[in-house]
Order: sequence, then C-alpha cells, then structure tokens
Amino acid sequence: MTDRLPDVADPAAGAPPAAELRGITKRFGPVVAVDGVDLVLERGTVHAVVGENGAGKSTLMSVLYGLHRPDAGTVLRAGREVRLRSPLDAIAAGLGMVHQHFRLFGSLSVAENVVYRAEPGRRGIFDRRAAEQRVAELSDRIGLDVDPTARVDTLPLGVRQRVEILKALHREAEVLILDEPTAVLTPGEVDSLIAVVRTLAAQGTTVALVTHKVQEVLAATDRVTVLRDGAVTARLTTARTTAGEIVEAMIGRGLQPAVNPRGTVSSDPVLEVRDLRMAAAPGAARVRDVSITVRAGQVIGVAGVSGNGQREVVEAVLGLRPVQSGSVRLHGRDLAGLGVRERRALGIAYVPEDRPGMGSAATLSVADNLALGHHRSPPLAGRGRLSPRAVRSQATELVRRLGVRTAGVSAPLGSLSGGNAQKVVLARELHHEAPLLVVEQPTQGVDVGAGEEIHRLLLDHRARGGAVLLVSYEISELRALADRVLVMLDGAVTADLDAADATEEVLGAAMASARSAPRPEEGA
Amino acid sequence: MSDLAGRLRPAATSALVPLGAVVVAILVGAGVMAAAGVDPLRGYDAMVRGALSVSNIDFAVASFTAILAMSLAFALPARMGEYNLGGDGQLALGGIAAAVIALHLPAPAALLLPVCLLAGALGGAALASVAAPLSTRAAVPVIISTLLLSAPAVALTSYLVRFPLAESGSSVPQTPRLPDAAHLPSFPGTSYTNAGLVVVLLVLLLAVHVDARTPVGYEIRVAGANRGFAAYGGLSVPRLTLGTLAAGGAAAGLAGAIIVMSQPFRFIDDALTAPGYTFAGIAAALLAGGRPALLPVTAALFTILTVGSAGMERDVDVPRQLGQVLQAVVILVLALRVLASRWTARRAADAAGRKG
Repeated sequence: MTDRLPDVADPAAGAPPAAELRGITKRFGPVVAVDGVDLVLERGTVHAVVGENGAGKSTLMSVLYGLHRPDAGTVLRAGREVRLRSPLDAIAAGLGMVHQHFRLFGSLSVAENVVYRAEPGRRGIFDRRAAEQRVAELSDRIGLDVDPTARVDTLPLGVRQRVEILKALHREAEVLILDEPTAVLTPGEVDSLIAVVRTLAAQGTTVALVTHKVQEVLAATDRVTVLRDGAVTARLTTARTTAGEIVEAMIGRGLQPAVNPRGTVSSDPVLEVRDLRMAAAPGAARVRDVSITVRAGQVIGVAGVSGNGQREVVEAVLGLRPVQSGSVRLHGRDLAGLGVRERRALGIAYVPEDRPGMGSAATLSVADNLALGHHRSPPLAGRGRLSPRAVRSQATELVRRLGVRTAGVSAPLGSLSGGNAQKVVLARELHHEAPLLVVEQPTQGVDVGAGEEIHRLLLDHRARGGAVLLVSYEISELRALADRVLVMLDGAVTADLDAADATEEVLGAAMASARSAPRPEEGA
Repeated sequence: MSDLAGRLRPAATSALVPLGAVVVAILVGAGVMAAAGVDPLRGYDAMVRGALSVSNIDFAVASFTAILAMSLAFALPARMGEYNLGGDGQLALGGIAAAVIALHLPAPAALLLPVCLLAGALGGAALASVAAPLSTRAAVPVIISTLLLSAPAVALTSYLVRFPLAESGSSVPQTPRLPDAAHLPSFPGTSYTNAGLVVVLLVLLLAVHVDARTPVGYEIRVAGANRGFAAYGGLSVPRLTLGTLAAGGAAAGLAGAIIVMSQPFRFIDDALTAPGYTFAGIAAALLAGGRPALLPVTAALFTILTVGSAGMERDVDVPRQLGQVLQAVVILVLALRVLASRWTARRAADAAGRKG
C-alpha cells in the first residue's frame, strides 16, 4: 500500500470533529495508565493511535468506548459532550469497537452475529432473510466478501474480524475503533483490512486504528497520535512523517546510555541458532532464516518492535514451539526433538516476558516459586523426597542475596511488587548457573530502582562467563546491557550491530524500515 | 499492583471461610428446625447421638472410612485443579472388581485380602484414568468426562450382579456372600468397623506425605496453581493429570472394595452408591480446601451429618434430608467464596491491566 492519500483528510472547515477526547486521565490504583491525553478524530479520517505495550493505547480507547470511566477529562462526539457509562451508551452515540479478542457467537451464523441486539423483524419474530440481505448489502458497500449464512466458528480469524466490523456498521457506527486489528491476521489479510479501512474512511466513517506496527500506520492512516507512558509524545500527519520519526516518539530518547564495560568474550559459542524458519500461526509471527550466535561472557540483544518474531525465536530455543527448519545448538549439541525439561537440564535458564502467566505462580509462596526446576535435585530433594525445610532455607538465602523485599518466603508471590516478583524469577533462573540465560523484557513493569538492580545482576552474570540472549523492546536497556544488538523486523534479522554503533537513530531506523537494511551474514 | 491484589485477598480466608460455612450451615439448619417447631438444640443433640452414641458409633466409623476415601478421590486430582465427579462409578467398579476376585480366587486370607483391595483400587483407577487423555488430548474437561463415565460404570455393575454374578435363588440383585478369607477383620466388639479404616488412614498418610514432601507433590501443586508456569518449568501436565486421576480413582475403588469386604460381605446393587458417600466426600474435600491433612476432620463432620440425620429423624421427627440440606449449604457458601475471590482477582487484574 504505497498510495498514501495526500491530505484529503482535511476536515470541512468549521465542522466539529467526529470524536474528541479532552484531558483524559485514567488511573488503576497507583498506576496512571493515561495522563491528561487529548485526541481529536476528524471526520472521515483514519487516525493511528500508536505506542509500545503499556503506553496506554487500549486504555484510552476503552475510555472512548465507555468500558472505562475516566478519572478526569471529557469525551465529545460531533462537538457535543457525551457521558459514556457503558459500551451501550457508546453504541447509542454512534461509536463501534472491534476488540483484539472477538466477541462473537461461534455457533451462530454471520448474519445472526451481525444483527445481534439490533435484529430486523416484526413483533418479536426474527426476519432471517432481512438480516442476511442487510449483511450482503453492508459487505458490498465496503467491498468485503462474507457469506452471511456461514457459521462463525468455521471462519478464519480474518473473516471473523470482518464480521465484527459489519456488526459495528450495522449499528450505524460513525466512529470505528480497531484495537490491534492486525495482531491475529496473516499478511494477506492485513492488506485487505487496510483496503477496507480506506474504503470506510472514503465513505465518511472515522476510524481509530490502535497499533504498534509502524508499517500499518504508514500504509493505512491519515493522522498519527503517539503515546508513551500514558502521555502524547507526538501528533503527526502521516503523509509528512517518516517511520523513524514515529518509532522515535514511541520508544523515546531513553536515559543516558549506561556504561557497559566489556568482559572477555571466549570464542566458544554457547548457543547457535542457524537458519531458523517458523510459519506464522494465530497469535504467532513468522520467523525467516534467523541465525544468532551467543558466546560465553556475551550478551546478545534482540531489538525490534514487539510481534516481529522475537518471542517465537525464544520459544524455539526453549523447545516451546515447533520449528519448520533450521537448527538450535547448545554447546554444539543439536537440541532438535528435546522438550523443555531436557533443554533446561542441558543448561538453559529462562526469564519469560509473561511473568504472571508463565514465569511464576501468584498463589504459590515465594519459596515454592523459587524451587521450580531445582525441586528434583540436591540440596532440595534426594531419594524421592523434597524437603520443605531445604526449600525454605534456599529461598531465604536467595531472597537475601538478591535483596527481594517480601514479608517472608512463605508469603504468596502475588503479594510482592512487580520488581520484587521479577527478582524472584531472576533469582531462580540465575541459581541454575546455566551456561545460557534467555531473558525477555527483564524490567517490564518494574520500577526504576529494581530495574537497575536487575541490570546489575545480568551484567554480573555475564562477568562470570554467562551467555545471555536478551530480548527487549527498550533501546536504552539494550544499550546498557548488550555487546551486540540484532534487530528483528517481520521475522527476519535486519541488522546486526556492535553495541557501540547501536545508537537510537540507527536502531530506530532498523526497527522501522522494512527492506532497507541488508540481511547480515550472521553474528560472529 | 500485586500489592493491591495481596491487600484485596481477604486475610486468613484459608481458615475463616470454611469455618464460617459450617457455622452458616448450622444456623440455617437451626432455622429450618425452629420453623418446623423443633427445638434446634434437641435436633442437633439427636443428630450427634445418631452418629456417636455407643450403639451407633460402629456404623458411623464404617461410614467415615468410606467418606474419607471418597474425599481423597476428589481431593487428589483437585490438588492440580481437576475435579473428579465420577466417584460413584469408580466406587462401584472397585467394589465389583474386589467381589469378582474374592469369589473366584481360592486363596488364604493373607493373600486374598490385599489382592482384593488392590483389585478394587485398580478398578477405580482404570475408570478414572480414562478422563486424563480425554482432557489432555481431546480437551474434554475432566469434570464432565468423569461425571459422564460414572453412570455407565454403575449400570455395568448393576447388570453384572443381576446376571453373570447374581446369587442364584435370590430376589435381591446381589452377589453370593464372599468367602470368609475375603472378610476384612473387624476390631474387637465391632461388626462394621474393620481393617478398612486402617488401610484408608494409611493411604491418607501417604497422600499427605506425597503432597508435602515429594517432588511429585510439589509438581502437582505447581500445575494446580498455574499450568503455564508448570509447562515453562518442563513439567508434564498430561502425566500429572493421569497420575492424580488414577490415584483419586484408586481411592474410590478402594472404598468400594472395603464396603464389599465388610458386612454383609456382598456386592449388593445400589448399596455402594445409595448412601451418598461420593457427594459427602466431595463436600469434605471442598471444605478442607484441598489440604489432605484436614480431610479426616471434614470427613468426620460430614459423617455426622450423613449418619446422624437418620437418628435425628427417628428421635425428633425431623426428616433426614436436613443432613443433605446442611451439606449443600456448606458447599454453597464455599462456592460463594470462589466467586468472591474471582471478583477480587478481576478487580486486581483490572488494576494491573494497563496493556497498551
């Protein structure tokens, strides 16, 4: 999609914007998710709301759709203030939203889903034919090909998304919010979604497109509002901006680059990933010919906007996701066919990005959380027994050594702050003394002080000769920790830089540009 | 944000809520009795006597044995978040397996007793195990498959005692009386209470030990707390599911074998499932909140409710169904607890949920 529309988006002079948010602030407990944000959606435009995970995009859109009530600020629709107590108010005000996770009845037909809560019919009798006609008419209007009689659970995700869009249009939505609509789509489906979005805008519908993918912003939108940490960092006109400018506003110019002293890097590769290929799957990005080498005493950073295949590479290394082709070797041994348990036993420790869902169990005690993976070997276990006392004393020692603040090792992990919970995960994985440590987003949801301590722990680990594969979306973190930085875009490594060369400008450009960077001949 | 979750989680629910559930149930029962014109104190006195008086305690302890085993049948898989509602089928299959061995294996008591108990345990385990691959391979929830598999298993035993195994010349659908070698030895002066109690208590001790002091018990608790965390740690969730379900089914099958090998030493159609041991065992396990060490206490409570309500009916003319009402109230209160904690969890998740 290169046919970007040149400024057709200029609104008719004097007409009020289709929707407007003024000074919206939304707090969740102590966390300020959105802080005094203004957003103007001009009629008939496609407006990108972009930002990294946690920047406040979804929260802001939930306010616009009546899902969250703001702590401060007002919502205007066509120039008039509206009070949205629930999505029903929002729908009545002509707003529609397509959520990341679709809200459809799988066992009902497309037509039945589209007209749900606004069914055509007379005297309580549902007029199926009218519903199907209406769907055909709507899908014709925006150039979509959807069979109104198909059962929704037989349809691919891309088509289900169209059903959601039709549903909003059937209810006469004039402002349509699409929340990360491409997260579940294949590349072909993305292109046709973008075409639909452009058609809608041309017909006068206003679209708010929530995304963190810069390519989509450039291809589909007229205006861009960039959020970071709950505040607006840039308001741009798509036709007059660049990918680099958007990425810069998204990730920000971080803190001062931290000093990153080099350790001695041995020549033995610990991890060798060769020509890894993985197919795209629902909720998983594809991976194209990725090769990565991590040596002892080295931190290799993987940069990129999230969703460009970093997670999938990590899961392939850990044995959590099957690969199409390519190899993963640890100390020269091919790991093909080995499961998570075997790979961990061979010496891979892992701090996953999804701490509550994967890296820990909130309801178990700190001590139990620290025991996983150590629970079948001395000193915790021996001759078929697991000693609760040994579990607690090891936990006490680790908690002390890493300075975890907790009411005690018997307290449930869920009672700890994010930073302390992350230190528990890190403590458990470092305690393996595994030659390879895979770390994703180690300081996500962690306050600044704990974040610095976590960085120090990782650098200490490297100084002891550990090999670290670090996935991060934060450039400042990569610069602080990594010896080399690889950039991933759309499943491929698009740049391989020495940490000294990995300035924010260079990384930002590599993270955004699709085909400009040459594919490197792999990180030696 | 997780601080908030910690604060919202009601303090010390672990002990307060189950106790509260029992208190609420007793108050509801008192209200029902008062409404029916019976002095609640007299009613409860009759209930406790009905279970614990000298003439009744023998039968009550035998019921306690069955209820305790059935509480294990539910509690063991529940430790990893799987709910075994197929206790009736596992109980009946265990009972019939023990009866078949006892009737067809001419062996001395020293051999026959353990073999029959083992056969019962295997029968129950075999049925419960079917639910594991259904869950891990075909995504059929254990709570549903165990329940649905139960009825045909009970029907199968019903058929067996009516036809192939029926006692000839009897109008009651039952097997012949088991040979003496298959009779569990009673304690002195009792006729119902027998070595089965010792066997079940040993199984309970084993379960408490495995739960608290072995790597497998730890893995089960991890899988129960967070499947994603378990998979991340390399634990085999399918194998743990199979293991806990087989263990739970074995406990139920053992209960069936013990019942068949006690007075009147036969498998009588309906006699295993009619007293409601399965449901009482589930209630006891829920009240114990999954902690195996508490099961004897809660099983004793539900034994009193189950057995004592018959005495209450006899003495003060309150229908014995009140015992079941009280069980149901306890479960309802516990279920409300689950709802409440889900609600607070959602509040906490909202508070934490500031995804982009």
